Amino acid sequence: MSRLDFTDPASLEALTEMLSAAGVEGLEISTPNAQLRLVISVPETVRTSPSAVALKPTNATSSTTVKAPIAGHFHVSHPSLASGAGQFPRSVVASDVIGFIRIGQILVPVLAGRTGLLTRQLAEQDALVGFGDVLFELGPQS
Amino acid sequence: MAENFASSDPLFDTVLIANRGEIAVRIQRACRELGLKTVSICSEADRQASYGETADHFVCIGPANARRSYLNQDAILLAARLTGAGAIHPGYGFLSENTSFSAAVEDAGLTFIGPDARSIATMGDKITAKKAMIAAGVPCVPGPDTALPDDHATVEQIARDIGYPVIIKAAGGGGGRGMRVVQEPSALIEAMTLTREEARQAFGNPALYMEKFLQHPRHIEIQVLCDTHGNAVWLGHRDCSMQRRHQKVVEEAPAPGIAADIIEPVGLACVEACQQIGYRGVGTFEFLYEDGKFYFIEMNTRLQVEHPVTEMTSGIDIVQAQIKAAQGVRLDLQQDDVVCDGHSFECRINAEDPDTFLPSAGAVTDIAWPQGEGVRLDTHIYPGYRVSPYYDSLIAKLIVHAPTRAEAITKMRTALAGTRVEGISTNLPFLRALFEDAAFAQGETDIHYLEKWLKAWRAA
Repeated sequence: MSRLDFTDPASLEALTEMLSAAGVEGLEISTPNAQLRLVISVPETVRTSPSAVALKPTNATSSTTVKAPIAGHFHVSHPSLASGAGQFPRSVVASDVIGFIRIGQILVPVLAGRTGLLTRQLAEQDALVGFGDVLFELGPQS
Repeated sequence: MAENFASSDPLFDTVLIANRGEIAVRIQRACRELGLKTVSICSEADRQASYGETADHFVCIGPANARRSYLNQDAILLAARLTGAGAIHPGYGFLSENTSFSAAVEDAGLTFIGPDARSIATMGDKITAKKAMIAAGVPCVPGPDTALPDDHATVEQIARDIGYPVIIKAAGGGGGRGMRVVQEPSALIEAMTLTREEARQAFGNPALYMEKFLQHPRHIEIQVLCDTHGNAVWLGHRDCSMQRRHQKVVEEAPAPGIAADIIEPVGLACVEACQQIGYRGVGTFEFLYEDGKFYFIEMNTRLQVEHPVTEMTSGIDIVQAQIKAAQGVRLDLQQDDVVCDGHSFECRINAEDPDTFLPSAGAVTDIAWPQGEGVRLDTHIYPGYRVSPYYDSLIAKLIVHAPTRAEAITKMRTALAGTRVEGISTNLPFLRALFEDAAFAQGETDIHYLEKWLKAWRAA
């Protein structure tokens, strides 16, 4: 497989299109020499996020789960950070990145999707997860 | 089953099965028997699949909508990459005859267990397929091997040369769609115009061709098996004339009442055609058969739903053979080694209302399957399984094998009587009644027989 040229607009455009088609909202690519972060901007009115069970209401009113937006290896925190898993329980807002799905050098962020209390991690670090597999338990704010 | 390939180093040791249902189970079994690891995929609607538990990896690749899961090439290739699969088996349906998928798999450095993109493209277009068959000496339905021109006078002359009735077909069509029968000259031009527009909209290809319309044909198939070293054999023939709305319901091997001296030259011509186009893996040549003559209609460049009846009569595991061919293993089988024995039937058990044929989704509460010598069942369902409304209604294939056709019919009657699926509606009552029909038992019924029989059965 050819190596991605981070300076090539056509490659970045193709990557962005693939990302949008896959329904994910952003990704990161890290190599020893470079790091690329792409965030897909979608109008709030048409926004649908597969990374959470539902977006409305944005506040969790009962326990729910946060699911994997794509198949890959699950990371509870950014691999470049020395610290491991975050504390549980902890408060999150919808736009918080609470984990990552790694596909080779690509990192797809997992968003909380709604405001609430992140109570439990349900997938193991570096486990192969599929689309829609549960990653976290998210409860209402206490 | 017999070892039909000379051994050599395999190209891959892990196969991703890009399909669902009974064929996912069947392919997984073949892989395990060959010592290969398996990756099963699913949509969110199929997380309950039993083959997920027996796969080395089981990955959900998307939501229930097949476009975003089983037809999503990127998601399948991603699953292969994540799990280290070296090959992808497409099964039947979905992406099995998709030229771009075959090419994408190979471009990703993986092996596509099926023919290359060029072969799929050649045989997928009816006009180029017909040209290839004529070049190999395979008999075709009377009619030119070129697309119909727009010029009305020329089209009218072609129809006169063929002789009415004629049938106009879309070059990119299939599955009974994109075709129109013309009984007389006055209806010709309007039929051509309508079919061209349908073809443009449905298949993105407005090209049409015209053939003689056969009135009472049977549907006969020839199964071929080819390696990547130029070796090929045919594994006997099947009769798939029992069709409802172009969907096969019951298949059998061999096709009854066709003398060996009539079908053998056709089988050998199919082998010749495969060698000429550099075909690899398994494939099926489909023919109409009428008045002792064969007429090529199309080639399916994949594993067929009905492959078990040929396995039962030939003793050759077609799925294993397909995988070995993809591994580049040389076919260690001569045509004379292929000996078909006895008679086999397959019934497709569908989750559908036996009267209306509408799909019947829901939970299976209880099951009883038949057992005994010469009885085989290919299925993915189990008590508690929930039949999804999203996909094909096929829930099981019941296959029998016996020394003679009459004995095979008796065996199928007994097997159907011993089959029970509770909680959903199935077509079992209809299958049981069909196997009591005298004309069906006699054999050699044409492709229109089942529709006529159904009308009478419903009225009764």
